[in-house]
Amino acid sequence: MRILNDAINTVLVKQMDACAMRQQVIANNIANVNTPGFKKSTVNFQQQLRAALGNSSMEIKATNKRHIAGGSPNKLEGLSPRVDRVDGTSMKAGQNNVDLDEEMVNLTANTLMYQFAARVKSDRANSLSYVIKGGR
Amino acid sequence: MGLFDSFGISASGMTANRYWADLIANNVANVNSTGTPGDPVNKPYQRQVPVFQEVLRQKLSAPSVAQAHGGGARVSRLANDNNEPRLVYDPGHPHADPETGYVAYPNINILNEMVNLISATRAYEANVTTLEAAKSMYLSALDMGR
Repeated sequence: MRILNDAINTVLVKQMDACAMRQQVIANNIANVNTPGFKKSTVNFQQQLRAALGNSSMEIKATNKRHIAGGSPNKLEGLSPRVDRVDGTSMKAGQNNVDLDEEMVNLTANTLMYQFAARVKSDRANSLSYVIKGGR
Repeated sequence: MGLFDSFGISASGMTANRYWADLIANNVANVNSTGTPGDPVNKPYQRQVPVFQEVLRQKLSAPSVAQAHGGGARVSRLANDNNEPRLVYDPGHPHADPETGYVAYPNINILNEMVNLISATRAYEANVTTLEAAKSMYLSALDMGR
């Protein structure tokens, strides 16, 4: 059993990376709210994650060779978020399509997602530490 | 991807919008900076507006699109508002045209400037909020394993 490097840990790290990147992209969108002709970008991670995980939600252990193992961790290692430019819409004069309200909502959601991943990772480390200390 | 790039992006947005607010203050302060109509030497003050531009920061070695993204905003240049000056009849004014008696006032609409000031302030605040969000994210990462 891999203690420190299991699939959940990898997913959490990738999720935090994606959130850090999304934070940058949102910051760039908001910084350019008054730039004429600017087009906003979004970070697409959930779709890649779903594809990497396949149909099974997490790694399934194969203890017998006739078992089917699911969720290859190799796929997870290569997971990287994709930045998409949204060209279609226009919010105001000058073809700028940054919607400040939408960006603020995404920003809040993204911060909470990052903190959630950090909390889960932290709690997992704490329970491991609890076990190592023999419950003391 | 640097950990604190996001702070720099927000800061660039704050700088650009603060600059806009400075320009608005300058426009309002010069609302009575007169000139003589048709005189190329004694021109009235011309309203200035910033032109915002996205800062592109693209790593040449970026292996994927994911690592090539924007680096904030900046004011690329100042544009002069070339609208015709407002003419006011005031023959006693030192800037008055000796033949017609008209003085050229800059074509500044205080209402316009005030509305733009609100836009600049709100955009500045949005950038501050983004900065706060990034800070709380990194603080939560700092607390991991406690």
